[in-house]
This record gives sequence, C-alpha cells and structure tokens, in this order.
Amino acid sequence: MNPRRRIELGLLIMAGVIVGAAYTLASLGRDASIPANVGPFLAIVLGLFLGAHLVVRKLAPNADPILLPIAALLNGIGYVFIARLNERLAAQQAAWTAVGILGFAVTLLVIKRVRTLERMRYTIGLVGLVLVILPAIPFVGREINGAKIWVRLGPISFQPGEFAKLALAVFFAAYLIEQREVLSMATFKIGPLRMPEPVRLVPVVLAWGVSLVVMFFERDLGSALMFFMLFLVVVWVATGRAFYLVTGFGLFAAGAYVAWRTFDHVQTRVSMWINPWQDPQGKGYQIIQASYAFAWGGVGGTGLGLGISGRVPYQETDFIFAIIGEELGLFGTVAVLSAYLLLTGAGLRVAIRSTDPFKKLLGVGLTTIIAVQSFLIMGGVTRLLPLTGVTLPFLSYGGSSLVANWIAIALLIRLSDEQGAEKKPATDETTTIVRPNVVAT
Amino acid sequence: MNSSIRKLGIAVVICYLALFAKLNHLQLVEGPSLNRRPDNSRAIERDVNRPRGTISTSDGVIVARSNEVEGKYRFQREYPLGDLFAHITGTYSFLFGTDGAERTYNDELAGQTAALKLSGYLNPFVERSNVGNLTLTARSDVQQAAKDALGDRKGSVVALDPRSGAILAMWSNPSFDPNAIVTNASAEAALVRQFLNASPDKPLLARAYRERFFPGSTFKIVTSTAGLESGKVTELTPAYPRLSKYTPPKTIRPISNFDGATCGGTLFELLRVSCNTGFAQMGAETIGPQPMIDTAEKFGFNSVPPLDLPDGAASVFPTDFGKQLGPGATPESAPVFENTPALAQASIGQNDVSATPLEMALVAAAVANGGTIMAPHVMAQIRDSKGGVVETHVDAVWKQPMTAATAAILKRAMEGVVDGGTAKGLDIAGFDVGGKTGTAQVGSSPPRSHAWIIGFAGPPGAAPTVAVAVIVEGQDGLSEQTGGRVAAPIAKKVLQVALAPPPAAPSPPVPGG
Repeated sequence: MNPRRRIELGLLIMAGVIVGAAYTLASLGRDASIPANVGPFLAIVLGLFLGAHLVVRKLAPNADPILLPIAALLNGIGYVFIARLNERLAAQQAAWTAVGILGFAVTLLVIKRVRTLERMRYTIGLVGLVLVILPAIPFVGREINGAKIWVRLGPISFQPGEFAKLALAVFFAAYLIEQREVLSMATFKIGPLRMPEPVRLVPVVLAWGVSLVVMFFERDLGSALMFFMLFLVVVWVATGRAFYLVTGFGLFAAGAYVAWRTFDHVQTRVSMWINPWQDPQGKGYQIIQASYAFAWGGVGGTGLGLGISGRVPYQETDFIFAIIGEELGLFGTVAVLSAYLLLTGAGLRVAIRSTDPFKKLLGVGLTTIIAVQSFLIMGGVTRLLPLTGVTLPFLSYGGSSLVANWIAIALLIRLSDEQGAEKKPATDETTTIVRPNVVAT
Repeated sequence: MNSSIRKLGIAVVICYLALFAKLNHLQLVEGPSLNRRPDNSRAIERDVNRPRGTISTSDGVIVARSNEVEGKYRFQREYPLGDLFAHITGTYSFLFGTDGAERTYNDELAGQTAALKLSGYLNPFVERSNVGNLTLTARSDVQQAAKDALGDRKGSVVALDPRSGAILAMWSNPSFDPNAIVTNASAEAALVRQFLNASPDKPLLARAYRERFFPGSTFKIVTSTAGLESGKVTELTPAYPRLSKYTPPKTIRPISNFDGATCGGTLFELLRVSCNTGFAQMGAETIGPQPMIDTAEKFGFNSVPPLDLPDGAASVFPTDFGKQLGPGATPESAPVFENTPALAQASIGQNDVSATPLEMALVAAAVANGGTIMAPHVMAQIRDSKGGVVETHVDAVWKQPMTAATAAILKRAMEGVVDGGTAKGLDIAGFDVGGKTGTAQVGSSPPRSHAWIIGFAGPPGAAPTVAVAVIVEGQDGLSEQTGGRVAAPIAKKVLQVALAPPPAAPSPPVPGG
C-alpha cells in the first residue's frame, strides 16, 4: 500500500471524527439533546469519505494525501453548520455532497490522463464560454437578487458559472502553454516597455473579455473578479513577465473604477465597507450583523449551537463564515483559514513539482480559483475587503459550488497522481551493489 | 515557472496573513466594543429571559429590580421609585437598549463578569442565580431632598463626597418614569418613548451630567485659582479699582456689574460680592489666556469627567484667543491678544464657557478636598445573590487643579461668601459652609439668567464631607442676588440632609431575580 494512502486514510478518519463530534455538539447546543440520527449520519458521512478514498486508492494511488481530507473536513463542517441553522437546506446539502463526491469519482474515472484535457482544450474553452453566457439568455437564465447567475433545468437550478471557471482554467492553461514561447518573447516595443506580438494574445483576451462583458451584464461582479484574477495569475506564471502583472492590475483598477461609477450596488458595497453604520437598518445591516456575530464569538466562541442564529442574513451561504466566527470564535476562524491555506499550499506544491508545463499551469489555475474565492469572501464578511457575492468553497450551502469544487479537487488529485508516479520509478529502483573483484597482486 | 509559482504562494500567504490580522482585530480587539454598541441587541437577547440583579441606594432602598411575570418575557424590569433615580439607573429595555448604570454595569447585573461566573462555577449545585446586585453611592434621602427642593422648576442638583468622588445625589428636572418605557407591552412603551423624545423640555436628558450651561459667576472660582496658582494674584494683591463698568483692551463694549453696582478690591472682597468688573480685569489683564486655559483644563474643562455613566458631556473652555498683539498696559500685565475681550467674558463664566452641573460640583469639591478632584462615581459595590461583596469601587484621583495651600485660601474665601456675601442663604448653623453663587446671563430682552450655586460643608474644623452644585434654569431678571435667592435654599436643604447621618441601612438588600 502506498504510504500516502495510509496517511490519507488516517486523516480522513480524523476528519470524520471531528465532523461527527461537531454534529453532536451542535445539536446538543441548539436543542439540548443528542440527535436521533447521529448514528446513521456518521455512517453516511464516513461512508462517503471512505468511498472517495477508495476511488483515489484505485484510480490515483500516488496522489498527495492532504487534498481529499481537507476538502472532506471543510465539507463536513459546512454541513454541520447548515444543519444547525436550517434542516431543510441541510438535507439538500447532504444530497449535493453525495453528488459532489460522485462527480469527484467520475472525474477521476474519465480523466485518466491530464493530456486528455490538453487535447480537448478548444472544446472545453467553448463549453466554458457557453456556460458563462447561459444565464444571460432570456428564457434560460433566471434573475435572483439582482444578478443573473442561475439557470433552471426542470426542477433543478444551478450556477453554470462555477463550472465555467474550471473549464476556462483548463483552456487558459492549455492555450498559454501552446503560445508560451511566443508570449515570453518580448519582441514588440512600446517605448521602454517590451511586450510580445499583440496578435498572439487575441484568442485568450477575447475569451476573457467576452466572459467579463457577459458577467457585467449578468451583474455577477464577484465572478468577474474571480475570472480576472485567474487570468492574470495564469498569464503571469506562464510567461514570467512582470509586464502582464503590471498591465493586469492597471486594467483591474480601471475596471473597478468604471464599475464603481456605473453600478449603484458597487457604490453601496464600497461605502458599506468603509462605514456600514451610515445605514444600519438598510444597506449596512448584513455586514453589521456579521461583525456583531464575530465579536460575539470573541476568542473561544459561544460554542456550537449556542450562538444567536437568525440575525445574520444569508447565514447559510455568503455569511456562513460569520456564524463560524460566532460559534467557534477566533480559534475556529483561524482553523478554517489555515485549512484553506493548507489546501492552497498543497495545490501549489503539486504545481511546482509537476514537470510538464501544462500540468503546472493547470495546477496553478485550479488552486488560484479556490484560494482567491475563499480570500474574497472571508475578507468581505470581515470587512477586510468590500463584500463580493461569491461562495466559500465547501462550506457554503450551494450545490453547483460544491460539485464544481469537488471536480476541481479531483483534477488536482489527478495532477498530483501523475506527478507522484513520475517520481516513483526513481525511488523504487533497487540499487545494485557491484562487488569489485579484488585482484591480488 | 517555478519561481513565479513560489512568488504566487508568498502572495497568497501575505493575503491570508492580512485576513488573520483582521480576524484577530475583529474578534479580539474590537470585540468588546462591538458587543457594547447600543444597537447591538445580542447582549440583551441573551439576557432578557435571564434574571437580572437589583440596583439599590447606599441606604438599602431598591431602585431597580426584575420581577418574574407571566407572558412572552419571563421577567419585567421595575423601578419602584419612579422618576426619582431615572437619570442614574437609566433604563433596561429589550426594545430600546440600555442606558445609565443599567448599561455601564450590564455585565455585572446579568452575572456575566468573570468574578460572578466564577462564584457560579464554584457553587454549581446551589440553587440560585449568580446575578450581581449593584449598590449605588447615592442616598435616597438626599436625592428626595433635591427633588423636593427643586420642585417644578427646570434645573439640576449634584451632591457628592469630595473626599472620594462618591455621588450622593444627582437629580434633574424634568425627569421621567422609566417604568413606562421598559414595560413588556411594546406598543405602549414605544408610544411613551416617542412622546418623551418629542417633549421640548427633554425629560429623558440627564442634564446633571449631559447638558452644558453658562456657569456665570460660579466660574470665578476657576479664575481665582488661575490667579493664585500663577502667583499673579494673592489674598492682598492686586486691589482692583472700584468700577461699575470695565472695558477690556481691544474693544469698546464694557462689562458691567449686575444691578449697576460698583465694586472692587482684593480677592476675598471680589468673591464676596461676586464682582464682574474685578474678575473680568483679573482674567484679561492680570492672568492672560494661557494660565486661564491651563487652569480650566486642570479642573476638567474640555474633557469628560470619568463618571461611570455613559455619554457624559465635556464642559468647555475656549482654547484659542487669537494672536498675541503686544504687551499689556503695565509691566506686570498679561500681554494683549486678539480676543482679550472674549477672555474677559470667559473669566466671569460667560461667552464660550459652558459647564455641566457635575463639573461645577467638582470645582467645589476641588476646593473642599485640598485641591484634588476625585473621580466621580455612582457605583459603591457589587454584591452576589447571597450578599457577599464581589467588587468594591476603588477611589481614584482625577485632576489636581491647585495646591493644598491655594485650596486652603479659596476655602476661606468661599466661607467668607457664605458669612457675609451673596451666599448667605447657604449658611447652616454648626457646620463650616463655603459657597459661590452664580448668575449666568442667557437673555437680555427680557433679561433672563440661570441661577447657580456651588458649595461645600463639613463638621467644624474638619474636611468638608459634601460638595454641591445647583442650577435653576431660566429665571427672570439679571441680578447678582439671583443665585443666592433662588439656588441657595435648594443647596442648603440638600446639604442639611447630606450632613445628617443616613437612614439605617438594612443588612444586604433583599436580592431580586
């Protein structure tokens, strides 16, 4: 048995225990009773995690052992909090968890080699674009809370944008690698600045630009920001040229300014970030209640289930971090922060250790999505940044986000497996010791 | 590419470190102040169905308690003495938040402080609530005397012990009945509160420590202190010319004495008859702006007294008198400034000077306590449900505006004002009483003024045990006698009751909740 899988199993069991204990405590805190379904619950949770583990063992045995347990832990803790807040949503989240892990398994099954993704890059890019545009189409998309990010297919609503992120990450990585050499050559000069032939950038900029424009139409500025960061990071890492970083931030500043001037709700978000008490009963209410929740938790938290729920709007989705802050305190929020940091670190480590440039870039892209998204929403609810409406990966309630993130983890595990396998022959080789023939003289 | 990835990793770590710092700041540093914000009802929600401690006076009368009731909320907060202590206790309302002592000592009353929780943990099997009961320094007899003496008139009375800063009485009229606001019947409570908020007399406002008024002639104590402390004024010098009007440098508008009186002389004489012309000249020409500002600030002007009730007001003394223009009229005079005329007005407690009644009581307390102002407070002790003392107030020095020697001089001067001056109405047989009247002009047609008096009293030959400030707002007329005629009888009544021994206190008050 690969030692990595042993470590993964151990970590998963720990995660399972933590989640089970948290579930019990949350129920004790809220209703002062141990939930009747704790046995079956634990069984299902552990079952799903173990199922995922077995899939990894079979299909990606050399993968990094940290990725799955952290994702499972975050998913589990998220479920505990959603169950504590709203039982109806918890049932749905449980179903989506199962779907997510199914998606995880299917991804590992279907994508046996990362090369496959690289070969299909244009198809994937097109699919990504379609997914981005989908909610803007009149009868297909639905407007909720002023943003058109949802699509309804029969009884199910989902957010194609979550999946679009993954598709575009793959496309960017593949295309940039293809054009990498050309892009790195700074043959075109504007004054003192050296940049590559502009025509090479066209397809990528086009894809990214269309996404941004559509997103402005859909008023999903959170996702627009995510796409922008993804693009910027991937281009910079691919070419190693600071030029892209500088122009990128310049474009960002310009875009942000335009958005601030044009959109009321961007102005609202920024002024509520600076001082929400200007409008405590209206626009500032959400962020003020979130701040109060964090403060109420203090260092140690009120204890699971012992917080005052129902005060923070969107407590199961965007603001779930505030509830964690209230019930688990500073200890809890820092633990969650560390989990995301470790996940990011593991993803970047996969990227660094991979030898193939496409794999490196894909690893960077996928990790950036998770790292930036978590940072944006955790920063938004703590008032470090203006609030942007993105979900907290694995913790927030939301089917599309959950499934998309599990697929991303699966891809990272696939990358990690291929990277781990490359090293393997070197370590598995037995060294033969050749006894010198001693010739007596 | 690896170096870029590493740099990316470092950038991510830096971003997350910023988040870590922000979380620490939010939950650790800002936490307590966010929890205390008045629009944060979490503390109230946690506590509304929990028992809450009582608030009692130092003589054992309960002025706030929680009774168990039927209905939506398990407890109803009750204030048995109605409006008498409303401005000190404040209100505890689920709907409107907390104010007053109910707010400052909310954690103690709810049993949430570490000390009370600890006593709860140490006795887990004893069937009792671990709330804290607050004992005030105030005396119900002195507070009642203040209310009775002021009667229907708008004004405030503050009485405190200058040796410790303990507030013995703090009353403002009009006051309000807190029971009407804290009733669990929320619709009625909202109506009452709306009505009270709209009332032009502002009954919800605790004028005694939250509202400022021109102090008028009572401010001359501060001016005298500035003179004595700077060495420019002594008991015997200078002797100011006998005038009925004085025109400061740089202006043509004179300052007159009330009633057209003519007065002058040395310090004690000026205080005895409360001579405007003398003090105006003292402030503008003898002392000058900077020593006046420094002395006023050492008395506590331009800061909020550290009273343990929320949202106190700072008394104000202007700090800018313009540029220095040139030397004074004589070699000993202070230089002339652009706003010397304003300084002359300020020295007699008009112009931009304003003070809370609490601050003026602290001015009297400074003289009574050898030049030291103790931090004023309403909390005496916190007791647990069994009557054991959990916390006792530790007296602290707040300001030191003058030396003990200067205080001794001013004490004699103020006793002189009671013996044969404008504050004769304050004299109490058998006690050493000192005082200073004040008439603060607030209108000229028709002439209206606030009637003030500040003072202190104690056993003969010993340190004074009570300092008092009384203001009666908006009196007709503009006479130096107004303070002595209107305010002195009120202060005298309050002093008499305060000097008498307190009514017998029963052993620890019956706990509530």
